[in-house]
Amino acid sequence: MDLLPLGSYTFSSRLILGTGKFSDTRTMLDAVRASGAELVTVALRRFNREQMEDDLFGPLSEIGGITLMPNTSGASSAAEAVRAAHIARELSGSPFVKVEIHPNPQHLMPDPIETFEASKILASEGFIVMPYISADPVLAKRLEEVGCASVMPLGSAIGSGQGLKTSGMLDLIIRESTVPVIVDAGLRSPGEAAAAMEMGCAAVLVNSAIAAAGDPVAMAGAFSLGVVAGRRAFTAGLMPKSGHAVATSPLTSFLGKEP
Amino acid sequence: MIALPEWLSCTKESAGLASMLSSGPAYDLESLAAESRAITLRRFGRTMTLYAPLYLSNHCPSGCAYCGFASDRSSKRRRLEADEIERELLSMKKLGVTDVLLLTGERTGVAGFDYLRKSVETASKHMQRVSVEAFPMSVEEYRALAGCGCTGVTIYQETYDLRRYEELHRWGPKKDFFHRLETPARALEGGIKTVGLGVLLGLADPLEDALMLYRHVRHLQRTCWRAGFSVSFPRMRPQAGGYTPPFSVGDHLLARMIFAFRIALPDTDLVLSTRESPAFRDGMAGLGITRMSIASRTTVGGYGDDADNAEQGQFEVFDDRTAGEFCNALRARNIEPVFKNWEPAYNGPSSVNPVRELQPEQRECR
Repeated sequence: MDLLPLGSYTFSSRLILGTGKFSDTRTMLDAVRASGAELVTVALRRFNREQMEDDLFGPLSEIGGITLMPNTSGASSAAEAVRAAHIARELSGSPFVKVEIHPNPQHLMPDPIETFEASKILASEGFIVMPYISADPVLAKRLEEVGCASVMPLGSAIGSGQGLKTSGMLDLIIRESTVPVIVDAGLRSPGEAAAAMEMGCAAVLVNSAIAAAGDPVAMAGAFSLGVVAGRRAFTAGLMPKSGHAVATSPLTSFLGKEP
Repeated sequence: MIALPEWLSCTKESAGLASMLSSGPAYDLESLAAESRAITLRRFGRTMTLYAPLYLSNHCPSGCAYCGFASDRSSKRRRLEADEIERELLSMKKLGVTDVLLLTGERTGVAGFDYLRKSVETASKHMQRVSVEAFPMSVEEYRALAGCGCTGVTIYQETYDLRRYEELHRWGPKKDFFHRLETPARALEGGIKTVGLGVLLGLADPLEDALMLYRHVRHLQRTCWRAGFSVSFPRMRPQAGGYTPPFSVGDHLLARMIFAFRIALPDTDLVLSTRESPAFRDGMAGLGITRMSIASRTTVGGYGDDADNAEQGQFEVFDDRTAGEFCNALRARNIEPVFKNWEPAYNGPSSVNPVRELQPEQRECR
């Protein structure tokens, strides 16, 4: 069985879902089900125990078969992210935390320094830490060294739908990493998810591409297929690339075997 | 007259926005709407963050010609006391509100900094997110507010037309154009996380004001890169005193402004209040606006059972639907009303002061 290992957990699905941006909770839950995702992330700032209508945590915790991974979206420093992780663990009981620290609320690019600091602290406290980072191979190794269960480099800017703009760096990260590499942010289509998986990503995390699709539930199913296809292609082994044409029947066979 | 700072007067910065605001064939309204909608959907999804204002006091020493709370108006003056604020907040919570904007007039002895700070402390106990729209303060005062749980400051320049500003602000502390202009930067330097900017459309040439507003936002985004921003588009509404604005801003022009700002500032929250009609608010939901007020009262207090409905507010509310009615209208448009989109764990002053922008001689006009 081809399982995704994260900390002491394993998952058979390699599609992780984000839960913001949906038009309503029911659509979000239907998309989660249609995606087959077993790990979903939810922002602590969308935990609302007083106003159940817009609370994302309650409904997600009631559907079976999924593990929640709270995220610290909205935090702008390591201290805020650590505080948020503690509250989220208290509320959700989940050992997972997706460390998401973006000090600039405009472009939402992750802060490498604060992310490293927060991840180091949280990993030492026993969290299963999944840091969202720019596609930086050195930072990825540093995070691995301090005990992160995976690294989550971006394919392109959050919500941009620009696909795998960072593929060169992702390639380096995948080649050097000893923890699962999960592409998070920027994907627009199931084809791009498949491409990420074919490269050797262990999983992909998708939110906007599903929530902002014409039919989010159908798109969640399509992403599920894309991820499975990409993973199978990776494990099957892609043929090597060549810079020039290689004829199926060799052009020089009429010469016989070279002496 | 003192000249405007270079970053505010540099037209090169806003050339793209200016093209979109001009109603030439290159930028027809429908195309702008389509692009604005696509950006909003991609960046913010199918959600609308909701907040509600709470007027703490209508005491004001200023003589702003357009304001229902100006000191020469005959409004009954009062301020909410701590126990009244608690009651109002609890009533707002029953509506689902977790994000509150506390408002006062300009600084007075009755409703000054200490009063505001204590009110923020009270509000922080009940609300997930607390912002203020009050009087300009010092960096230290903003730092103290941030320490009590205030995360946002809304401060409109009202108009960037210096001459009009001078005429409209007849007396009082608000007369100081430049002190007000620098207020958002002081708030951010004091550790406030988000500032809301805007102009009161109708006081001066709306297109000029929109371009200056954009340049103000861009200047702050470059100098205070950790900060969040929102931009509001309040149009003049009937209010006490019967002021008639010299410029009228129709629905088409306002819609064009909102679309153009969404395209020019794709990541910035754009706000539309209950000044606008239900039809306009419903129509703009999903097309660029990402933050709306609900069930607003523009009188002091007004949410509790003992609210005085005859009391005159700062301006007339146009969209007077209940929170439930408004949320249903959003849902009918496939948009989720989001009451909580903030986490108090992130409260407290921002740790790093904003970076100062280079002096004009050190950089090119953008």
